[in-house]
Amino acid sequence: MKKSRFFAGLAVAVGAIFAGLAMMYTLPFDFRDHAPLQPLAFSHKKHAGENRIHCLFCHRFALKSPVAGIPAVADCRACHLFISPNAPEIRKLTGYWERREPIPWVRVYSVPDFVYFPHMMHLRAGLVCTTCHGEVAAMERITRSVSLKMGWCLNCHRQHRASIDCWTCHI
Amino acid sequence: MKRRTFLQLGGMTAAGAWLSGCRSANEKLIPYLVPPDEGVTPGRAEYFASACRFCPAGCGILVRVSEGRAKKIEGNPDHPVNRGKLCARGQAILQEVYHPDRVPQPLRRSGPRGSGKFTPISWGEGLSLLTGQLRTLQRERTTERLALMTPQLQGTLADLAARFMATFGSPHHIRFDLLAPDWLRAANRRSFGQASLPWYDIAGTRYLLSFGADFLEYHLSPVHYGFAFGRMRQGRDTVRGHFTYVGGRMSLTAASADRWMPARPGSEGALALGMARLILSESLYDAASLAANGLRPDRLSAGLEGYDLPRVAQLTGLSQQVIAEVAREFATTPPSLAMAGEMVAFQENGAEAVRAVQLLNVLVGNLNRPGGVYPGGGPVAGPENSFADLLALVEKMRGDRMGVALIHGDPLHAIPQTTGFPEALGRVPFIVSFSPLLDDTALQADLVLPDHAALESWGDVIPLAAPRGTVIGLMQPVVTPLHDTRQFPEVLMTTARELGGGMAAAFPYQSYQEMLKETMKRELHPAGGIDLETVWVDLLRQGGLFKTEGKRGKGYRWRAEAPIPLPAEPRFAGDERRFPLHLQVYPSTAFYDGRGAPLPWLQQLPDPMTTVVWDSWVEINPGTAAGLGIGFGDLVEVTSPRGSLRLPAVIYPGIRPDLVAIPMGQGHRGMGRYAAGRGANPLVLLALPPSETGPLPAWNATRVRVARISKEGGLVTAGNPEGSYRGELIEI
Repeated sequence: MKKSRFFAGLAVAVGAIFAGLAMMYTLPFDFRDHAPLQPLAFSHKKHAGENRIHCLFCHRFALKSPVAGIPAVADCRACHLFISPNAPEIRKLTGYWERREPIPWVRVYSVPDFVYFPHMMHLRAGLVCTTCHGEVAAMERITRSVSLKMGWCLNCHRQHRASIDCWTCHI
Repeated sequence: MKRRTFLQLGGMTAAGAWLSGCRSANEKLIPYLVPPDEGVTPGRAEYFASACRFCPAGCGILVRVSEGRAKKIEGNPDHPVNRGKLCARGQAILQEVYHPDRVPQPLRRSGPRGSGKFTPISWGEGLSLLTGQLRTLQRERTTERLALMTPQLQGTLADLAARFMATFGSPHHIRFDLLAPDWLRAANRRSFGQASLPWYDIAGTRYLLSFGADFLEYHLSPVHYGFAFGRMRQGRDTVRGHFTYVGGRMSLTAASADRWMPARPGSEGALALGMARLILSESLYDAASLAANGLRPDRLSAGLEGYDLPRVAQLTGLSQQVIAEVAREFATTPPSLAMAGEMVAFQENGAEAVRAVQLLNVLVGNLNRPGGVYPGGGPVAGPENSFADLLALVEKMRGDRMGVALIHGDPLHAIPQTTGFPEALGRVPFIVSFSPLLDDTALQADLVLPDHAALESWGDVIPLAAPRGTVIGLMQPVVTPLHDTRQFPEVLMTTARELGGGMAAAFPYQSYQEMLKETMKRELHPAGGIDLETVWVDLLRQGGLFKTEGKRGKGYRWRAEAPIPLPAEPRFAGDERRFPLHLQVYPSTAFYDGRGAPLPWLQQLPDPMTTVVWDSWVEINPGTAAGLGIGFGDLVEVTSPRGSLRLPAVIYPGIRPDLVAIPMGQGHRGMGRYAAGRGANPLVLLALPPSETGPLPAWNATRVRVARISKEGGLVTAGNPEGSYRGELIEI
């Protein structure tokens, strides 16, 4: 009898471990690549939300290039020479500029090398930035709000009757 | 250590490891510090048309440029020479721009010559050093003591260099290139009275007979003729052109042939004449062609009396039946075409052997007709004996009669030592190199004024082989120069301006670009009166000026006083008993004459016949190798009357038993990290055979012997990927 109890306990324990692993696998515990820490605590909430700066003001290539573009350090500095130049995070910015170093931003959205994702085509098709990037204007730190898995791409392509031919993205 | 401390430390280590795991593994997005002001759109590529000047073929290229960096080169589909195709060498010139060992600014020698010790200086200092030297020559009225050594330049650059030297007052502009087609110009002048280069209509021929012309690898215009060869084989519905190759080594071109005739080295001319005699005696010749060329079959037959089939078979080592068969096929499959190449021309009797091949074309009527040979549309004039110029210069350098040598290119690597050039150059008091890398010549220089990379340069490129009309490829800078370098013609012009007087007056241009525009203006509209600015951008966009319509020039016609070609018994340097084997030195598929060696893509490119990468090798026939106890990959020593080399052996069935072959291109002392000290330079082995008329550029007339040294050749090939060089960089 003792023996059967022991086996039952073992089975429960093993089940618990498996359930835990499965949970770890499905739950979005992985904050590291969803919302990584950036070298500067740049707030999209402040820029895009409170001050209503348009996305394309900084990400100026999104309409004409596959990549949206990150503003040059000189562009950031151009405004912050005058706008709260003494805030601690702005001092970090000035530090980068004075050391002649570009800011090593951490990429949040990326697709593998074998996927061709052109920003300009999606914008021209009438999609808005928030479709993929979420409510950036409400985010302090950028958090990836979509999975970027192929099924997610295909869903949207199907909804919008965009081509789902392999060569559309895998060129 | 207490148990408690141990646990504390262990916990801290674990926590530290866990925390460091929190750092994002995502890639970084690095923005510009200052955005470029030239309208760069990140992620969007732009394509620029330009021209390739790696080899004289002069193909048109399209360069993909992203974020201001050149990323990829392909052929320009509009260019009549290469029609969108491009060889591996042309694709690799990207790496010239981004080579880590480029000379970033002018250098002045600070150690003994050849020590490689240099001090970086500014352009101001560099130019004043150069003008100071030139002023001294002017003051002492010894301007002829200036020598300029360049490859065979074309177009505006050739004009500029010639004008610079003429105005300065020196006749010593040496344009020696080992692989330049001087021999072909000279033969054409002797046979046809015109020195223009031929254009072969390979695409339209039905029977191609190549005497050592490796037109798929390097001969004249490999991409152009490679494309034409494809069309000859497969471009016509009913005809598949037949191809026979004559030569002792199976090159890539020979391997593409239907029949390989490994004639004994130096006997190719005799073979051509043997075929000619057979064609005459069997009345297979084209009577109309002979009449048009002023030749009489009976006189020709009498002249070729000595080349009867048994004797030719004995001279060439080929069977009588094969020779007769090929001669009959050649004569009865019109249009046919015979070509002569470097491997024949570089024999001691090469000049006449090339003409013997030309006679074959006359005999069966291949001149000036589709599927035959035409005078080409390339540069009309060019050096016909730059080798004699080189020897004269060496003589003057030896006699301390040269004061300053300006050198573009790497002659110390590319000129065989048997000419005495290295020692002679050592006696020149002031050497200026314009190399973008510290190559063998730059290492000996007193002043290095680095040139731009090709993709940063302006220029015009006139292809060696063009069907007709005017074809001028335009080079434009596709990227901003990476370093503080200046273009070679720009430096010459600045120097002329600094010298003042007549020198400054000879160059009334603001820049080389302006001079280039003047050339194009003349080409477009010789009478003048054209506003170039309206078409200049179109020319650049297109990649140059391609006027392929228009009439052909005067056709070939056998010169009345031209003698019947009679190649003498070939002579070789080296005694047959001490040096039993012939040596053939051939241009490497990857490096051409060696200029490609600094580019790692080309080093990594397996040789098409042997699959060797990153090395030199010597090809030996299996029978010969067995007799000498040599196995594949063994280290062997090749000894000639001039010197010896150690390099690994490749047992190669596609070579005559009495012949060994070494590719050129490796064995640099300098030229950056990928080339320096790698492989061996076979040119050091070459010796010139005795000759009454003065030395001839007979680079394939050296005899050698081969001895096994050890098992450790260290070859890296497809069949032997574990060679000793294998590393992170080198693999197959």
